[in-house]
Amino acid sequence: MTHVPPPFDPELAAALELIKDMISPGLTLDEIAEVRQGPGIQMLAELDLTMGGTFEVEDRRVPGPEGEPDISLLICRPAAPETAGPRPVLYHVHGGGMVIGNNRVGVDVPLAWAQALDAVVVSVEYRLAPEHPHPAPVEDVYAGLLWTADHAAELGADPERIVIAGASAGGGLCAALALLTRDRKGPQPIGQVLMCPMLDDRNDSPSTYQMAGLGVWDRTANETGWTALLGSRRGGPDVPAYAAPARAEDLTGLPPAFLDVGSAETFRDEVVAYASRIWQAGGMAELHVWPGGFHGFDGFAPQAAVSQAARSAHLSWLRRLLGV
Amino acid sequence: MGPMKELAGRLTALDPDAGAAVRVIAYFDSLAESRAGLEALVRGAAVLAGCPARLVDPERRVHVRVETDGTRRDTGTPPDPAWPAVRLSPDGTAMLWLERDGDRAGTAGAVSGPASTARGGGGDAEPGGPAATVLDPRPAQTAAPGQVPTPSTLSVVDAVILERAAGAVRLVLDRTRGRAPADDPALVETLLDATAPEPARLHAARRLGLDPTAPARALAPLNGRPRVVPAGPEAVPLGGGHAAADAAARPRASQIPSQGQPADVATAQATSRARTGPASAPAPPVPGRHTAPPESRLPAGRLGVGPAVPVLELPRSWAEARTALRFTAEGTPQDPGPRVVHAEELGGIALLAGIVEPGTEPPPDVRALETAAAITPWLSATLHAVVSTASLRAASAEINVHHSTLQDRLAHAEHLLGWPIRTPQGRLRLQLALTMRRLGRG
Repeated sequence: MTHVPPPFDPELAAALELIKDMISPGLTLDEIAEVRQGPGIQMLAELDLTMGGTFEVEDRRVPGPEGEPDISLLICRPAAPETAGPRPVLYHVHGGGMVIGNNRVGVDVPLAWAQALDAVVVSVEYRLAPEHPHPAPVEDVYAGLLWTADHAAELGADPERIVIAGASAGGGLCAALALLTRDRKGPQPIGQVLMCPMLDDRNDSPSTYQMAGLGVWDRTANETGWTALLGSRRGGPDVPAYAAPARAEDLTGLPPAFLDVGSAETFRDEVVAYASRIWQAGGMAELHVWPGGFHGFDGFAPQAAVSQAARSAHLSWLRRLLGV
Repeated sequence: MGPMKELAGRLTALDPDAGAAVRVIAYFDSLAESRAGLEALVRGAAVLAGCPARLVDPERRVHVRVETDGTRRDTGTPPDPAWPAVRLSPDGTAMLWLERDGDRAGTAGAVSGPASTARGGGGDAEPGGPAATVLDPRPAQTAAPGQVPTPSTLSVVDAVILERAAGAVRLVLDRTRGRAPADDPALVETLLDATAPEPARLHAARRLGLDPTAPARALAPLNGRPRVVPAGPEAVPLGGGHAAADAAARPRASQIPSQGQPADVATAQATSRARTGPASAPAPPVPGRHTAPPESRLPAGRLGVGPAVPVLELPRSWAEARTALRFTAEGTPQDPGPRVVHAEELGGIALLAGIVEPGTEPPPDVRALETAAAITPWLSATLHAVVSTASLRAASAEINVHHSTLQDRLAHAEHLLGWPIRTPQGRLRLQLALTMRRLGRG
């Protein structure tokens, strides 16, 4: 197996040049605290969550998992809804490798969808590893979904039309959430948007080796994230599917899935494999592999042609799913 | 969204405030290195500058406009002369613009005069006034190629963006629409093949950087493969330069305006067309002077130049160029004559080519010439000087002998050949014999 990596898309390679001082491919456990204090979080706080007045924004504390602390939900509702009836919900789970980030991270993406689809956005705050290893993150995410479904009417939302969506670790948590709701007979999302999702703790696919030391979130960073979540269990025989969805033996009965990933990133092979296994299990999935894309490329360089293509593919799938 | 997103956060990677000149340079260097296309380069300018950017190259029919958010949105509205811009070639009309609106348009000050004049001709066009109807090729804030534009209203970052983007755009244009494809022998072969389908020939013309609606001509070098060039307005000097008649009838190479150095067809086309604009004062057509690329662009050595024709008729231009090649000579004392011959100048003389074929029995006058030349070293050069100059005095100057010496030689030649060569009829007979001699050698 060759370790020669696929080339980055020209525009994305140029964007990497711009951010290389701020972004390094790797991450170690020692560096997590420093990254959490990095400049990005401040920038996030300045994000206009109302999108120019389109949304009414609220932070709401709701019950966490049984016996655990409350969690916080960021709730963004259309200020002037186009329709009177209940609206779809985009339930967003942020990324950050299981170890960093908050419920503002990447929420501009579902907010943009909600603008086009007249939908409600709920973005969940979950506890982070390594302080809070598995199952804390996914159970917080599940608790937030339970509350959202139970209180849909209060949000002007339709509990039968919840789409779960996330990128990177958020995508992995959404895949796990779909497994959890299936198995616990919880609220059933009608779709799952898994953008460059973090699915497999084994960290040993060809793409993890190909992209070592390159782009964003390489093999070292991935090992750091999974080890923070799972400790010594990472890569071993007893990792539960709710922690690493690639470990699930049964992928039947899941809501329709949208998956995408760059060809030049660590997660390429595990995402392609996960989509294939959904089809093999008789499920519905749409898969896009964006040529030359590094991890999270459409967030870092949204102007690039390939990013525009990815983002229009997201919205196109949601429109077909929701029939709007 | 990515695990590391927090590091950059919403500090969007391409925020111009975060990108000093070094980042701009790194960005375009990376694009160039990975051979990004024109749209990616224009998008880079738009995103880094934080305003729409557009690339317009009328000669190559390139029009790319990208908004600040990276979306492609071309427009037919003319550029504002007040926008920062950079010219992509010295004489061409290709420009890269940053659509940077604002107060800057009104602060151009001393440099606004030429811009107004160029726009409307009346000097009354104001920056905020009606849009110019003609693309202004010389806006006030235009930098020469390779130079950073320096108006006081232009920010350093904008200047660096324009300079680096333009450099990368030039490379792409040369690569995709200029030099490289112009050297493709397969394309030229298709273009010159009358049996090839017309769409294939038109496609080949475009790939070669030729405007399918403009005339072109085929060139037939003695050594080397066929060439096709756009038919420009300049006269082509004959090669050799030893013939006084040639020198009198045509401008020398040094009289032709310098062309810059690019050797690709498209640039020659752009350059020649640019000169047809109202700024230049084209001379009236001169009989016998043909429009073709300047000498510096012609292949070295003996060359037949085909007539200017529509691109679909290039097979005919090629056939006539090959015929013209047969009328060329080495331009040496042993083989005097023009090294470059234009099919369009041959007139009825071209008919001789169909009569005198290489390898056939030469006519009696040619045999007489061969016999005489074999025993008389000065004969060929002397006789060529006589038929190619306006007077015997000019002929003696041409071959650098005294007038009386020339008279002696001609008397001797008449004796050897058996006909007079100082009468109009005899001179014509001599000229035909010399021409048929070249044709017969093949």
